[in-house]
Amino acid sequence: MQDSTDPQQQARAERFRRFVEPEIEVLLRVARTLTGSGVDAEDLVQETLIRAYRATDKFDGRHPRAWLLTILRNTNSNMHRRKRPDLVADWEVVGGHRPAFGARPPTATDDAALHAELDAGLRRAVDALDPRFRAVLLLVDVDQLSYADTAQALGIPVGTVMSRLHRARNRVRTALRVRPATRSDR
Amino acid sequence: MIATIRQMLRCHWSARRIQRYLDADPVARLAPAELRRLEEHLARCERCTAVVEEHRLLSRLLGGWTEFRAPDPRAVARLRATVDSLVADAL
Repeated sequence: MQDSTDPQQQARAERFRRFVEPEIEVLLRVARTLTGSGVDAEDLVQETLIRAYRATDKFDGRHPRAWLLTILRNTNSNMHRRKRPDLVADWEVVGGHRPAFGARPPTATDDAALHAELDAGLRRAVDALDPRFRAVLLLVDVDQLSYADTAQALGIPVGTVMSRLHRARNRVRTALRVRPATRSDR
Repeated sequence: MIATIRQMLRCHWSARRIQRYLDADPVARLAPAELRRLEEHLARCERCTAVVEEHRLLSRLLGGWTEFRAPDPRAVARLRATVDSLVADAL
């Protein structure tokens, strides 16, 4: 009896799975930062996976994350032509969530109230950023991407990632700096 | 006066490298000589040391967002199913 499975197709499918599966969560994180919506992020990653599968044969196997982030960025650009691809469209991503420090219980030395206040100040400061700077800050400091992967995700040079990150952090840091003085004034 | 200007220049030089120092990203590592110079400056300059501490605090705060922004496990499962489906269709 003849085996109907094409060995080339099988190898391609296995390569695809090997490249993609470890990156699904990262793709979802980045997609959420780019689109500002969990639902849009899932749609974007789904379309990215389909396009990646079609392009598997052309991929040399090096840096799967960078390859997938490039496809994700291009897909996002095609899906939302009216939006700038490097902007975070909707800032409910963080603004509408519970405070970050609710994500883990305070330790014995934690001051939960101070943390909650700092976190609220942080959200305000991040909210006030230019969306292009905010996207870089979120991708590097929250989504934990490298400079190079952030550059791939946004389609900008690494030097631009670094300069935007530098400015974003300094603005947020400066905004947070005034908070202890505000507290002591009470 | 000259000493003050020198100090300002050292702080300015350091301020431009503190984030790369803390991130240690593979594409933007400081050269060994830069690293040595920066660490020597930080050992002597309280103002730049305070900036480093502010960056560390900011990093911890933003790191706290990582967990609660984790993708919905159901979305991850659906996308894994998409991969399964693409692979199955090919076989």
